[in-house]
Amino acid sequence: MSEYTQLLLFVGLGVVFGAIALVAPLFLSPRYKGRETEDTYECGVDTIGSAWIRFGVSFYLFALVFVAFEVDILYLFPVALVFDEPAFGWRAFVEIAIFLVILSLAIVYAWRKGVIRWKK
Amino acid sequence: MPSTLLDHLHPILAVLIAISGIMAVLSFNVMFCIYAERKVSAWIQRRMGPMEVGYHGTLQTFADMLKLLSKQLITPKGVDKPIYHLAPIVVFAPVVAAASLIPFWGGVLISNIDIGLVLVFMFGGFAVMGIFMAGWGSNNKYALLGAMRSVAQNISYEIPLILSALSVVLMVGAMGRGLVIDGQAVKITGTNLAHIVLVQQHADIWFIVYQPVAALIFFIATLAETNRTPFDIPEAESELVAGFHTEYSGMRFAIFFFAEFSNMFIGAMVATVLFFGGWDGPILPGPIWFFLKTYILIFVMMWVRWTYPRLRFDQLMTLCWSVFIPISILNLLVTAFVIKAS
Repeated sequence: MSEYTQLLLFVGLGVVFGAIALVAPLFLSPRYKGRETEDTYECGVDTIGSAWIRFGVSFYLFALVFVAFEVDILYLFPVALVFDEPAFGWRAFVEIAIFLVILSLAIVYAWRKGVIRWKK
Repeated sequence: MPSTLLDHLHPILAVLIAISGIMAVLSFNVMFCIYAERKVSAWIQRRMGPMEVGYHGTLQTFADMLKLLSKQLITPKGVDKPIYHLAPIVVFAPVVAAASLIPFWGGVLISNIDIGLVLVFMFGGFAVMGIFMAGWGSNNKYALLGAMRSVAQNISYEIPLILSALSVVLMVGAMGRGLVIDGQAVKITGTNLAHIVLVQQHADIWFIVYQPVAALIFFIATLAETNRTPFDIPEAESELVAGFHTEYSGMRFAIFFFAEFSNMFIGAMVATVLFFGGWDGPILPGPIWFFLKTYILIFVMMWVRWTYPRLRFDQLMTLCWSVFIPISILNLLVTAFVIKAS
């Protein structure tokens, strides 16, 4: 068995443990149901409408910038692993610098567009 | 070189021993952290904290657990059923797997995977998904607001977190070249958590000395990733009731709580591995050093929580994108430059 299979097993066992913890109270807990027991909680007053409504677009913009950013940063991991190979010399540094500068341009762009300053 | 349980035991036995070990450690940690959190907060605010159940309230957490176990699970009317019920499991399961990746001892490990660091970040990412599922599935305004904030904050702070870890990976690659342990040449992989500790142990230096900026950013980003004060607006109780887990009662809430404290534990353990030399230390055995360092970090997290006020949401995001990310990119560049120059 490889270590990755083992890891997958741990995830599976985590699911099983979680499920047990969620099912156990069904046999231990009381079952009361009044008129308002299953209402959505809203600080005591009657629930007004659904929560699934339009939402601030700023969150979405952050998510967009993140998607562009995070994927690129993951590409840096393989680069970091072989960065010190003597064969690459200073070329490795120049390449990583160019990559990071282009990445930073993305932040500068988002900054200029007002994403980071949380403009309405 | 650390070996793994799989090298010594029959695979089924190895998995069983590992999973019982992980669950025992995680459960103990959660119990201990809840008690410690209450006592530390009480100490900082000049109160007594829990005193009634057991000696100085030591059994308080057990009493709370029994109470949670016997609470009714209420499923509100408007929820999106599959998402609502899956969310606690999506938050909980990756925690177990992530904990198995941590090298707490130079002897026998549970797993010794070359991309361990990346995998830990990946499992951390699942928590974000689970939180969003909980917030969206609940069909509750507070829960949705909390989840939205939490996702935006978690994904933003993941970038400085990974960037500061990357500068350590760079250093490990450079310092581990041609490393000889016990007369054997070892091929070091920068993303292998055990190798990161081995390099620090061998160079007799902790990476916090070389990478103080990365260590600080990593620690702050960990606070944000685990939704702790001053970054706890996803569950800011004074405005959002309980944030994303408002509609979760009893054991469902307990699972979120378990995962949250375990994530804090895992974050502190990864920080220990990256910056504080993992199991490295004189006289005492490795695991004792490892958990000592981890709990010191957790204590600092609690200390921060009870000292600083909470940030406003736009301040929090601006802080990340216009301070932490540029600084960590610069730090990475400087690290790369120094490695090539030396």
